[in-house]
Amino acid sequence: MFLAWNEIKNNKLRFLLIVGVLTLVSYLVFFLSGLANGLENLNKEAVIKWDADGIILTEESDLTLPQSSLKIEDYNGAGADEYAVLGQFYTIATAGDNKANISLFGIREDEFIMPKVTEGKVFKGSGEVIADDTLKNEGFEIGDELQLSATDETLTITGFTDNARFNAAPVLYGSLETLQKVRFGESTENMKDRINGFVIRTDNLEEVEVDDSFQVIATQDLIENMPGYSEQSMTLSFMIYFLFIISAVILAIFLYVLTIQKISIFGVMKAQGISSGYLAKSVIAQTFLLAVAGVIIGFIFTILTGAFLPAAVPVAFNYVDMLVYGAVLVLVSILGALFSIQTIVKIDPLKAIGANVWHC
Amino acid sequence: MALLELKNVNKVFQSGQTEIEALKTTSFSAESGQLIAIIGPSGSGKSTFLTIAGGLQAPSNGEVFINGNDITRLKEKKRASIRLQEIGFVLQSSNLVPFLNVSQQLKLLDKVKKNNLNDKQLEELCESLGIRDLLKSFPSDLSGGERQRVAIAKALYTDPSIILADEPTASLDSDRAFEVMDMLKKATTTNGKTTIVVTHDTRLVDYCDQVYKITDGQLRLIEEMASV
Ligand SMILES: Nc1ncnc2c1ncn2[C@@H]1O[C@H](COP(=O)(O)OP(=O)(O)OP(=O)(O)O)[C@@H](O)[C@H]1O
Ligand SMILES: [Mg+2]
Repeated sequence: MFLAWNEIKNNKLRFLLIVGVLTLVSYLVFFLSGLANGLENLNKEAVIKWDADGIILTEESDLTLPQSSLKIEDYNGAGADEYAVLGQFYTIATAGDNKANISLFGIREDEFIMPKVTEGKVFKGSGEVIADDTLKNEGFEIGDELQLSATDETLTITGFTDNARFNAAPVLYGSLETLQKVRFGESTENMKDRINGFVIRTDNLEEVEVDDSFQVIATQDLIENMPGYSEQSMTLSFMIYFLFIISAVILAIFLYVLTIQKISIFGVMKAQGISSGYLAKSVIAQTFLLAVAGVIIGFIFTILTGAFLPAAVPVAFNYVDMLVYGAVLVLVSILGALFSIQTIVKIDPLKAIGANVWHC
Repeated sequence: MALLELKNVNKVFQSGQTEIEALKTTSFSAESGQLIAIIGPSGSGKSTFLTIAGGLQAPSNGEVFINGNDITRLKEKKRASIRLQEIGFVLQSSNLVPFLNVSQQLKLLDKVKKNNLNDKQLEELCESLGIRDLLKSFPSDLSGGERQRVAIAKALYTDPSIILADEPTASLDSDRAFEVMDMLKKATTTNGKTTIVVTHDTRLVDYCDQVYKITDGQLRLIEEMASV
């Protein structure tokens, strides 16, 4: 630490540059992780909100909710602690100038997927819905009458709930009857028991008994099979992992150049009998200081930027993730420094002291 | 017992097809309290001798004993530790760390070695080397002679039993050069060290108990003062 710190103090500009690079890299990593997290939320919020363990879909559904079609009487709760019926339909809702892609959930008011109302009232009759509150930010209000694409039916917002987006579309919660009227129009009568899945709570999904034509999947699988979900999160994760490699390489290059510049200084210290181990530790300590400084500054910048970002940017910071990524950044920086250690070990003090400067 | 002893030591450098015997087979020993000068023309093998004696390189043949311990075949790690504990080097060129000020140069040694000079001894040392007012200065702000004196302070600070100095007075004016020799003489006799000084300057020879001359790698004792 002694050598490391004094060198930093006396070569401020040089080390400021390194901290600067690390700051930018960690800023980017934190921001991407926030973005990844935000985009994930966008997709899975409504599913997480169920606080459920699995869902029953048809075999042919390809693990997506809209493709699955069952009847209410297809499942009686065997093997589950609790279950709830769920019908779902994507549509476009318009109220005046406001227009939004939405996902309509048809549910039963007394089952556990019924959301808590944060503002306004719960839906009562047919045609009434509770809306995700991001719609409120887009200008929708309680009492708005929503025109829907592809049907003459209208819906009325009676209240709002929070954290309810499904595959990036804000959710409208209504009764099953509301849903059936929207999606089947006049022929409601013989289609009224059509739903898309059964949401279940259980300790063991294996115990849930269903026919061969149905399948029980974990809610996590439902999330991961949403269109675009895995692609998005994999792209962002890939970028983050790549940044780890980049920062290790940048650090390795910087420190290697610094080490090469200091060969004669290290050699002189080694001639005096200071061990390679001490010098190596000093380089590691230095890297640690620089990396921690860069990560902390990057973190502060990230939080500041996040505070000034428009709501439309889907960034959601997860501090645990950030802590892990920050630690990984410090770790890979140190890995980069290890690259210079072998150079230090190989320095021949004899050459460095200039007694026998002999270049072969 | 001799503090430093070389038994039948030589050093051969391989340079392409030809072999250069930089140091011909020689034996040498130095007792505590002795100040020894080594003179000789450039390229005669003075630095080679000094670096072998100080464990910076191994001889081709023969053995080197420091304080009675054979260091000839030790690994670099072990030799480094012996250099740190037993030997004070004053090198031909400056051996200061550019980003540490004078007092930090010494403090660095406290980080890696115990039992260095205490505060009072350090003050005396700095006083006699005339560097007391330079403790907060960085090497780049010092003159060549001041740097050399700091290097000497560094070598003496660890209280080594053997001091090896390669042209320690090269960048000093003659008054300072004599002062430095006085210093080394004092450290040698009062603290029972042994000091070997490589020099071109024949006037400095008067300070020494023994004078060796190397020509073409052959070490010969040419003068021995009557011990006092
Ligand atoms: N690493 C080496 N490889 C090959 N030859 C070497 C090596 N080191 C020294 N020599 C040769 O050994 C001889 C003695 O070199 P040395 O450095 O000991 O001389 P010196 O007496 O210290 O000279 P100077 O007064 O110029 O410092 C020289 O001929 C030199 O070229
Ligand atoms: Mg020399």
